[in-house]
Amino acid sequence: MGFVTATGRACINFLTATGRLVIFAGVAVSHIVRPPFYSRLVVRQIIEIGFYSLPVVGLTAIFTGMVLALQSYTGFARFNAESAVATVVVLSITRELAPVLAGLMIAGRIGAAMAAEIGTMRVTEQIDALSTLSTNPYKYLVAPRLVAGVVMLPCCVLVADIIGVFGGYLVSVYKLGFNANMYIKNTVQFLEFIDVFSGLVKAAVFGFLISLMGCYHGYYSKGGAQGVGSATTNAVVSASVLILGCNYLITEAFFSR
Amino acid sequence: MTKVPKKIVIRELKNSFGSKQVLSGLNLDVFEGESLVIIGASGTGKSVLMKNIVGILRPNSGSIKIDGEECVNVTNNVREKISRKLGMLFQGAALFDSLRLWENVAFGLISLKISGREEARLKAIDHLKKVGLSETDADRYPSEISAGAQKRVGLARAIATNPEILFFDEPTTGIDPIMGEIVDGLIVSSVRSLGATALTITHDMDSARRIGDRIAMLYGGKIVWIGKTEEIDSSRDGFIQQFINGQVDGPMAGLITENSSV
Repeated sequence: MGFVTATGRACINFLTATGRLVIFAGVAVSHIVRPPFYSRLVVRQIIEIGFYSLPVVGLTAIFTGMVLALQSYTGFARFNAESAVATVVVLSITRELAPVLAGLMIAGRIGAAMAAEIGTMRVTEQIDALSTLSTNPYKYLVAPRLVAGVVMLPCCVLVADIIGVFGGYLVSVYKLGFNANMYIKNTVQFLEFIDVFSGLVKAAVFGFLISLMGCYHGYYSKGGAQGVGSATTNAVVSASVLILGCNYLITEAFFSR
Repeated sequence: MTKVPKKIVIRELKNSFGSKQVLSGLNLDVFEGESLVIIGASGTGKSVLMKNIVGILRPNSGSIKIDGEECVNVTNNVREKISRKLGMLFQGAALFDSLRLWENVAFGLISLKISGREEARLKAIDHLKKVGLSETDADRYPSEISAGAQKRVGLARAIATNPEILFFDEPTTGIDPIMGEIVDGLIVSSVRSLGATALTITHDMDSARRIGDRIAMLYGGKIVWIGKTEEIDSSRDGFIQQFINGQVDGPMAGLITENSSV
């Protein structure tokens, strides 16, 4: 009986939390399109999410591209398919690795920061203060972060695409002895618009999810420092899991035949 | 003698958190232009009452009217219209720590489009001077000033939009007695100069005597005593006697035991 009760309670809690998240997302999105618009805050978040994430995204991308080239080469060499390295690198980077790895890195950096900032505002009554100053917290805190996340993640992923492919080029040409012109030709030859586009769509969805989870967990944090700590952890973990789950669904939508 | 209109009318207000009934059918009238102080032991629901009035919390049932307009279960637009009449000083000041002091004070002026950014800055500096801070402090951040100074900035922010009703949540908690008296003085002068109605919650009796025209005592989710400030010391009410004399024994002994066992 205890097991049934516990399972029932867990199910109800899960459904309650899901419903609350969906309502939170719906209200937040509705505030994106309704005035007043806080363009100054959107620009600030764009700089925070996009510009300041570039170093970590760039480093992740270049090492991923380098490792991918090396691994593909050693694998493909077993059946004399070394010429496919450039194509494998560019397709893997643009379709999967750049959006997913950039998403996970930014979830760790930005999702945590958003949850901590908004969570601290919650426990120190700053969000209540916003309400008393006739300012809607969804509009002031959540909407600018959602917009910045959706806009800037694709930009970061585009940069990651270029740097990741460049990382593969460096290893292939300077370590593995590929001809530079041939490598570039092979890279471009089999690359299609949909490969890059699907990655950018994934990035926009991941950007939305990262901002949403950061804001949601921060907004509902309670209990002082411990509550803010939990909110931060939950924001990163839930955003990461959602990124991986949605990655499969979007891939299925784009490439399933 | 002219009859003073009621600014805030609260009827049968109930609010509970889980199984804990915090407000249980509270009734209260606040008259226009008066300064009412609500006293009570910790955990009696003073902050909950204030948060219900300003719209941060929603009551389970009951009515709150400001200028005759219902504030419970209203649309966001109505709530926002009512909020424009209110200003609040929070217990911990609740300054926005990502904004400079002048931006904190000017926040309402800018968001309500009362002033442009440059004009709002000048007005904010003026308000900061009124509460004893200098123009050079205006560009500092809240983390760079003391708790007492934060309270004063919070007060400047609360009065910046010339609200009709001011709320003060434990204005002297967390600051030394000298600074407490300074903050109380600033509250009294600000309320008088604005001609505003003020509602303060505190458990600091010195502060209550300095700020209030009337004092109300909250216990068991209801107002158990209300009267003029000068009447409180001569009151024979058991709750008042126990509270102002800080006695452990009395009608509130049950609450004290309950709070101390948590």
